[in-house]
Amino acid sequence: MNRVVFESVRKVFRHRPALFNWMGRERGGETVALENLSFSVATGQVLVLLGPNGSGKTTALKLISTILLPGAGLVRVDGFDTLKNARRVRQQVGIAVATERSFFPRLSARENLDFFAALDEVPRHDRPARIAAVLAETGLEEQANTLVMKFSSGMYQRLGIARALVKRPGVLLLDEPTRSLDAGTTAHFWTTVRALTRQQTTILLATHNFAEAAAVGDRLLLLHRGRLLADRPVRSGESAEALRSFYFQMTGEVDEAPDVQRAETLS
Amino acid sequence: MRQTLDKLGAILRRDLLTAIRHRSGFAMTLMGVFMELAAFYFLSRAIGPGFRPGGVEYFPFLLVGTGVYTFFVMSAQAFLSSVQEAQQTGTMEVLMTTSTEPAELVVLSSISAFAGNLVSLGVYLLAGVAVFRAAIHADMLSCFVVLLLSIAIALALGIMVATMQITLQKGSAVLWLFSSGFWFLSGAMFPSESLPRPLELLSHVVPLRYAIDGMRMALLQGRSVVAMAPTLATLAVFAAVLLPLSLGALSVSLRHARRNGSLSFY
Repeated sequence: MNRVVFESVRKVFRHRPALFNWMGRERGGETVALENLSFSVATGQVLVLLGPNGSGKTTALKLISTILLPGAGLVRVDGFDTLKNARRVRQQVGIAVATERSFFPRLSARENLDFFAALDEVPRHDRPARIAAVLAETGLEEQANTLVMKFSSGMYQRLGIARALVKRPGVLLLDEPTRSLDAGTTAHFWTTVRALTRQQTTILLATHNFAEAAAVGDRLLLLHRGRLLADRPVRSGESAEALRSFYFQMTGEVDEAPDVQRAETLS
Repeated sequence: MRQTLDKLGAILRRDLLTAIRHRSGFAMTLMGVFMELAAFYFLSRAIGPGFRPGGVEYFPFLLVGTGVYTFFVMSAQAFLSSVQEAQQTGTMEVLMTTSTEPAELVVLSSISAFAGNLVSLGVYLLAGVAVFRAAIHADMLSCFVVLLLSIAIALALGIMVATMQITLQKGSAVLWLFSSGFWFLSGAMFPSESLPRPLELLSHVVPLRYAIDGMRMALLQGRSVVAMAPTLATLAVFAAVLLPLSLGALSVSLRHARRNGSLSFY
């Protein structure tokens, strides 16, 4: 069964000059973030979104989460249209983004999770156990009662993942989820992702990390300037190097990284 | 219903914990209240006992006028701050992905904001009476009705300012315009009747004027609900018009921001 469906989705961001454009330098215009994008993701599948900066990966995730609405076309989650049934969609979707600062600084990690869980209608009697579980899953048990204003980037990112997991979403959206994480936490996170798919969670993961794509992906979409360049499975045992070659071959970009640097990145 | 109460509890807890952990801010606000009241007290003494606007002493007149005015402005400010903070920290987008409808979230958040500002108003009036000996003759039922209607109007104004912040990212400028206009026209410091005729006529479309007048009648003159029915009816009309209008505008602005991708612009 297809859990997430994009049908000919177009998303354009229009820019208007400021109201008082004294210097006359600011110009209006538009950016096509997604153009005629169609794909679907099955239940329990991990779909990796690859593409250069500005290719439309984050826009696609935001469209699923209803943070953005499509300009044309349809986005459906579990059969619900994000335009007409936004609330039903939001009940199914959890999102974690890389540049995570979206917490209340003078609340602890546990208090933040409890607040968002309440808004996500997680029953009150279930919340302590669920919060304890996701804190353990993300390695934040010891910082559970620390005010998040004292958190490092990596801890913020872990807490963002914990928040996305606490509602037990059917569809999990991850935008560069391991960007600030250390190697150990990253490896544990990949294990968690694979475990979630066994519980029938559908995962869309935007990343620039080929090792991550190879480790957790079932399928990959390659986006370039808002268009779909490729939609193919990630083969079992496929290496990060193979994905990297595929990426540069398809996008036409030149891989300038010296071999040594590349080896470091892949490790 | 249980879910709604649970959400309200979570929001109240969040705001209470944040306020408690900002203890120095609370203490400074309290000091500010006393200094402001002291300034008004000595201003009224300087003007002398002969000036009795509406038949009441000037200090209680100022106390109620500035107290209600501050309640309105601080409530709108609380809305604006929560939207601006949410935009700056990124919580705005995340809150919009929860299972709670945006309108429900706004109304629940407002209850928390008003609870805090009601406490401040209570402290302000109590300090005026207890420390500076302001004379009051309150009709509690009338006070309650005026307060209820005032909250509905303040809620509408707060939502409008938040809407302007989401739409134009200029909520602070709109609030400044609102607050300075209201300060001038609402009769917080002096009777609106002393304004030039055109401005006096304009003051009749300022809802805050009726909230302040109503509270003065209820708190200082002890007028019953029946005796002040015209003022209460005017407040009710303002609330009935402004509240749905502001909620509709907020809904449109959120949809617009989702289309434009400007939810977190500030």
